[in-house]
Amino acid sequence: MYVALLANRYLTSRIIPWIAVAAVALCVALVVIVVSVMSGFLDMLRTSGKTMMGDVVIRYPISGIPYYQELIDDLEALPEVAAATPTIDTFGLIEMPYGTGDGNNLVETVQVWGIEPESFNQVSEYEDILWWRAPAEEAAKSLPLDDLRLDPDRDRTEAAMLMKDTETGEPGIVLGMHISVFNERRADGTYGFQGGNTNYWMPGKQVELTLVPIKGGRLSIEPESRAFSIVNEFQSGVFEIDNNRVLISLEDAQEMLRLGAGTLYDQNGRLDPETGMPLVIGESPARAIAIYVRASEQYTPDQLRVAASEAYDRFWTKSAEREDRTVKPPSPFRVSVMTWEQQLASIIAPVQKERELMRILFSIVYIVCAGLVLSIFWAIVYEKTRDIGILRAIGASRPGILGIFLIYGLVIGLLGSAVGVGLGWLVVTNINAIHDALGEPAPTWLTISTFAIAAILLGFSIHAAAKGSILRWLLGLIGFLIIGVVGTGLALHQGFLLWDPSVYYFNEVPSEMDWFTAFLTMGGAVLFSVIGAAIPAARAADTDPVKALRYE
Amino acid sequence: MNDHTPDAATPILEGTDLRKTYRLGRVEVPVLHGASISIQEGEWVAILGASGSGKSTLLHLLAGLDRPDLDSGDVCYRGSKVELQDGGKTNHYRNRTIGFVFQFYHLLPELDVLENGMLANLVPRGRKSGIVLCLMAIVGAVIGAWLGSMAAGDWGLLPLEERTQIRSIVLSGACAVIGSGMMIVLAQMAQAVMFRTRMRSGESADAARATLGDFGLDQRYRHRPRELSGGERQRVAIGRALGSDPDLLLADEPTGNLDEHTGTEILELLKKKHQAGLTIVMVTHDPKVASYANRVVRLRNGRVLADDEQGSIVGEMPLPNERDESIG
Repeated sequence: MYVALLANRYLTSRIIPWIAVAAVALCVALVVIVVSVMSGFLDMLRTSGKTMMGDVVIRYPISGIPYYQELIDDLEALPEVAAATPTIDTFGLIEMPYGTGDGNNLVETVQVWGIEPESFNQVSEYEDILWWRAPAEEAAKSLPLDDLRLDPDRDRTEAAMLMKDTETGEPGIVLGMHISVFNERRADGTYGFQGGNTNYWMPGKQVELTLVPIKGGRLSIEPESRAFSIVNEFQSGVFEIDNNRVLISLEDAQEMLRLGAGTLYDQNGRLDPETGMPLVIGESPARAIAIYVRASEQYTPDQLRVAASEAYDRFWTKSAEREDRTVKPPSPFRVSVMTWEQQLASIIAPVQKERELMRILFSIVYIVCAGLVLSIFWAIVYEKTRDIGILRAIGASRPGILGIFLIYGLVIGLLGSAVGVGLGWLVVTNINAIHDALGEPAPTWLTISTFAIAAILLGFSIHAAAKGSILRWLLGLIGFLIIGVVGTGLALHQGFLLWDPSVYYFNEVPSEMDWFTAFLTMGGAVLFSVIGAAIPAARAADTDPVKALRYE
Repeated sequence: MNDHTPDAATPILEGTDLRKTYRLGRVEVPVLHGASISIQEGEWVAILGASGSGKSTLLHLLAGLDRPDLDSGDVCYRGSKVELQDGGKTNHYRNRTIGFVFQFYHLLPELDVLENGMLANLVPRGRKSGIVLCLMAIVGAVIGAWLGSMAAGDWGLLPLEERTQIRSIVLSGACAVIGSGMMIVLAQMAQAVMFRTRMRSGESADAARATLGDFGLDQRYRHRPRELSGGERQRVAIGRALGSDPDLLLADEPTGNLDEHTGTEILELLKKKHQAGLTIVMVTHDPKVASYANRVVRLRNGRVLADDEQGSIVGEMPLPNERDESIG
């Protein structure tokens, strides 16, 4: 009983345990914030695969996979597969509908994807990432009034799903949001135009796309150019994709790259004796360069990869046995079947390693925690030596004395780590708002309030000096200097970009809490706080009553 | 007072050939050179000596607060040797058999008057609450580990890609630590609340109130020691010492830090308790204070110089500034 009573009184009657709680809280919050942002970055990398590519990709570059629809049908029959879609990816040049100032239009290198919008939407989140679509009712309330998406006439979802201009019937193209130089990302994550000029709105404008077909591993002689009408723009959240990628229909891509269905002529120049034309030796099927596959909910990408690989083996064997087909699919040894994570291994693996390294490095924080609690407890036990002597003199046992200080350490560790996790959660979930606030000049009211507080502290300090209190004078002066420097900083602060999307891959700071790390850090902080308290507590318990009472 | 069968022949407390040497760095300073003392039940014995004569050391040994040298004799309580090696028996002896009053009051500043008065009665409950705490810690650890394993698995705290056995174990371990800690803290809070609501109105509190009320502190229960005068503090200290209803009260210069008037008040208080049957052993350097006792043991250089009934030796006392060569 006296253990609870004294531990409670020692905790609540002085300020030093609260300093220890604050120290533990800051240490824990530091770990939680840093590791959460890194884990969030990793998760964003992972989920960005689902956003644009599904979970697994079956790829055979350049020549592509023939009879891909059969493969897709086989895949979709598997329980592991939720959906599959054929795509073509290549590089091209795009001539934008605005000039460079020297009379020519701007030409940019882009990554071109040919997609089937309907099936692509099943595998990826195509419709969700389209920018020019009517926002949901709830989301619309939080949009700025000048956001063009609030105008129902600007909704271009249908055109993007058809991949053609619904008015003119021209083939459509969907651009990544950062391709047009006039789209400007605002602090709230929405987009505006340079000078607010809606003439820079891209949908409806014409671009010319040039692709270079490749056949048999050699460049074709003539690049293929076509005019496209911009039907929409998309924002995947991955800067590299939004800055480089354009989407066209699979058919257009197949035609431009000569991967569409056609007749197969003899390569040795033999002629048909009847018509005198090159000899027809069979039909050439349409091809897709990659098949994107999305996993069913209960399956992991790795499980899907194994199933998809086996499905391709069966598809290849089945096609090889078909004697009526001149064109055979590429052998499984030449086709890559990879998860999104494997494809991005060069980016994901270092981040994963860095995160683990961070976890290990930040373990030092636990030692700092233990050190802080140890030093604070050393001081507390030293100060309480006389009390320990009194308790021992009236019959308190050594474990009882040990218990008082262990519980003291436990409460500090538990409270500090809980506050730290709470603080970490607040920062992590609001990290984009904090980031945006840093990006803007400080509000005037905040700067003025800070200077007002600094002035009050200066007044307090002068008053204390006049009254002859050195401690209050010093505290007031230190407070004035700190708040004054903060105020000056706020006045001079013009905003700066901390998280540059072009450097950090995504255009938002990850804001998902890493609860695994949070619980791990909390457990570690509690454990190390108790260990930090245990040594001085054991010293206290070992103190003989008479010796302790001589600390007078 | 504890119930014991009176035996006129057996002293209530006896120290035989007690030796104590302090080590100050490499220097050994002998303080007691085989002092012997015997106290009968119902006596008020004053141990009188100048500063450094070893009287406080003798009292500490009798109270079980300090250990004598290896070649020393024993301390016996009612004929049984008192275990002075600092274990459960020593704690019981310090808590139940004797009450100790210090010169400098030594009250706990975080506790109020009533809590200080009850302290001796709260201490023996420590073992029971320790067992409860250990059980609570185990229950908390088990619940925490279970919640951790559920969180790692079914509740999806770990992403599917990162769900490995070692991670689940680590998470369960962390949750076990947190759960265990939370249960201990909850139990502590419950005990603290229980103390506030029940203990302060229980038997121990009533006994402490009665004692402190006798000492004129009935208006001061809620006050902290810093809010009391020196005399009031010493009265609380005596109240604490008597809180567990001991057989003996050992007092180390109980008036040494008080003015004459307050010192007299304290001595009158002790006198009242002695008249009610309490055995008192009191250390002092002041012959006037010693005159309250009915027997005086005179100490010099760590040896008993004289042991007489009151009145025969008081006149031969050394002056207070007549300092002994040894320390104590």
